[in-house]
Amino acid sequence: MSFDDKVRSTSAGLAFCGFLKAPDVSLIRSAFADISLRAKQHVVMDFTEYDGMDTVAASGIYEGIRNLERAKIDVYMNGLLPRDQELLASFRRHEQSLSAPRRSWSLKDHFEGVGDDVVASWETARGLWVFSKNTFSALVRVLTTPSLFRWHLTFYYMEHAGVRAVPIVGTLCWLIGTVLGFQAGYQLKSFAAEMFMPDLIAYSITWEIGPLLAAILVAGRSSSAFAAEIGTMKVRQEIDALEVMGFNIFEYLVTPKMCALFLVMPALVLMADFFGLLGGLLIGGWYLDMPASYYLSRLNFVMLPIDFWWGMLKGLVFAVIIANVGCYMGMRVRGGAAEVGRATTAAVVTAIFLVIMADALISLIFMEIRPTVQV
Amino acid sequence: MNAREIILEVAHLFGGYEEQEVLKDISMSVCRGEILVIVGRSGCGKSTLMRYLLGLSKPWSGAVHFEGEDIWGESMDVLRRSRARWGVLFQSGALLGSLTLLENITLVLNEFTNLSLKEMELVALRKLETVGLADFARSYPLEVSGGMQKRAGLARAMALDPEVLFFDEPSAGLDPVTSSELDHLIRSINRTMGTTMVIVTHELASILAIADRVIMLDGESRGIIAEGTVRQLQVESSDRRVTAFFGRESLNASGVTSDVNGSE
Ligand SMILES: Nc1ncnc2c1ncn2[C@@H]1O[C@H](COP(=O)(O)OP(=O)(O)O)[C@@H](O)[C@H]1O
Ligand SMILES: [Mg+2]
Repeated sequence: MSFDDKVRSTSAGLAFCGFLKAPDVSLIRSAFADISLRAKQHVVMDFTEYDGMDTVAASGIYEGIRNLERAKIDVYMNGLLPRDQELLASFRRHEQSLSAPRRSWSLKDHFEGVGDDVVASWETARGLWVFSKNTFSALVRVLTTPSLFRWHLTFYYMEHAGVRAVPIVGTLCWLIGTVLGFQAGYQLKSFAAEMFMPDLIAYSITWEIGPLLAAILVAGRSSSAFAAEIGTMKVRQEIDALEVMGFNIFEYLVTPKMCALFLVMPALVLMADFFGLLGGLLIGGWYLDMPASYYLSRLNFVMLPIDFWWGMLKGLVFAVIIANVGCYMGMRVRGGAAEVGRATTAAVVTAIFLVIMADALISLIFMEIRPTVQV
Repeated sequence: MNAREIILEVAHLFGGYEEQEVLKDISMSVCRGEILVIVGRSGCGKSTLMRYLLGLSKPWSGAVHFEGEDIWGESMDVLRRSRARWGVLFQSGALLGSLTLLENITLVLNEFTNLSLKEMELVALRKLETVGLADFARSYPLEVSGGMQKRAGLARAMALDPEVLFFDEPSAGLDPVTSSELDHLIRSINRTMGTTMVIVTHELASILAIADRVIMLDGESRGIIAEGTVRQLQVESSDRRVTAFFGRESLNASGVTSDVNGSE
């Protein structure tokens, strides 16, 4: 039986011909598979007519021979060039130091994995806590010693994290306000209660959607940017250099970002509220034939100033979370560029997770302290 | 070097960057199995020439032939097929930092062959052994020295047993001893496997240690100003620029000193 001109089956085994190269590996494999079916006690590999082999082809031949040996078949080689004898011998030497074959999936591994994840999350939470405390003390130092305050850096981040987020926050809040108004109107219509649509919009936008959407967008844009910036500096040893030059890393890298978010978040929340309510107004006019004057007077009637203030307060809390998580994930980078990518992902996911947790907590408190409006 | 088969040939190549012409009417050839060293002062266009040899940029005019085929011919196929038979060692080693040395090599094998994991690891270990790094297979690039990274880069370049190996400044950033070890390695790979080597360098010690043939580029004339064996360039050339380059060494023509640091 012949597989090609390069590998032939003989009565005693296989015969090789020409120069064996990487693309011949499949041929070699099927030849060995074939011989292992018919071989009895021993086979002869005839290399008398071949010209040589490259390393890849050699590994295929070696694996074929090993399989035969494992099936208790003696393999004799005939005419192998010294170079290739040495090559196969080196494979034999290296075989012990191969990776252990991957273990198959087991329940135990799975639980171990879950346990590891829990431990890792706990470590992250603790690290973040320590980091935040450091940030806080740096913040106190900076605020009590105005000469330490880095205005230009703060303005830089205010622009990048705040001003540049305005279009996307505005657009999305307007869209959500519109959709929410439409959904509310659609449901309320069946009870002929569509005049309460502004109440629904007012509360959901100012209490939840506005602050949350602004925070999620800022988390997505800026916590990843912070993590990437600091992570890259870490990889390039810039952080070490700064430290050796006597910079306080927290004062130089973290507090400007934190202060910037602190200043822009409330404004972004207010703007998000405005666009969300505007969306409600437009859909009210278009879908429910609700006059703008009615919508506005209704808003005026059901809303308290505390609704806005509380949303902006949430914004401040979210600012602290986003800045700290972003910087912490950046600082945690060890090793190479791939780590930076992982850090940015972790920053966004963790920041959004914590923002929503905090939001739920704050909302609970809010429900307790807000005076009810009699409708 | 009597009438050996030409494997790579450059004919009347012009090239450069945007407005700036760097290479002017370059014609040269590489013979199978030889170590060709391209030398010249910094900025004379050695790396640029290397980019053209590797088909990383297209020449303004002129052609590069690999085994008689124009690598910029009608189809990109020639270039793709040729590249599978080339290996390149970049200046920094260019290993992937997130993978171990072993994985850096199996990565290449996984892409271009259909070996099993075990076979790939055997090949990778063999290659690491060739460069003396079998014991560091599980280390990450950052955990080994610069010289070892270079050697691992060489092992990766050799993963598919290339017919031609290209090096851009292999000894850049290495101390003289490590650099001469690398030279020995290059020489021994060339001897045992018959791999053709094209090496860009300005380290005189390396040139003397490994070159079969030298091509000297010049920044002013943007062309080849001298070509031949080290001996020919050292002794027979009367060109002032050539003697200036080899000058300091001609006093002790033995060529084994390692304390010479090239032209700069
Ligand atoms: N990417 C580039 N863009 C523009 N000019 C370049 C670029 N790379 C190199 N050059 C110019 O081309 C010339 C040759 O550079 P190069 O080939 O890197 O020299 P060598 O490797 O011999 O030191 C230099 O003058 C350099 O300034
Ligand atoms: Mg260069």
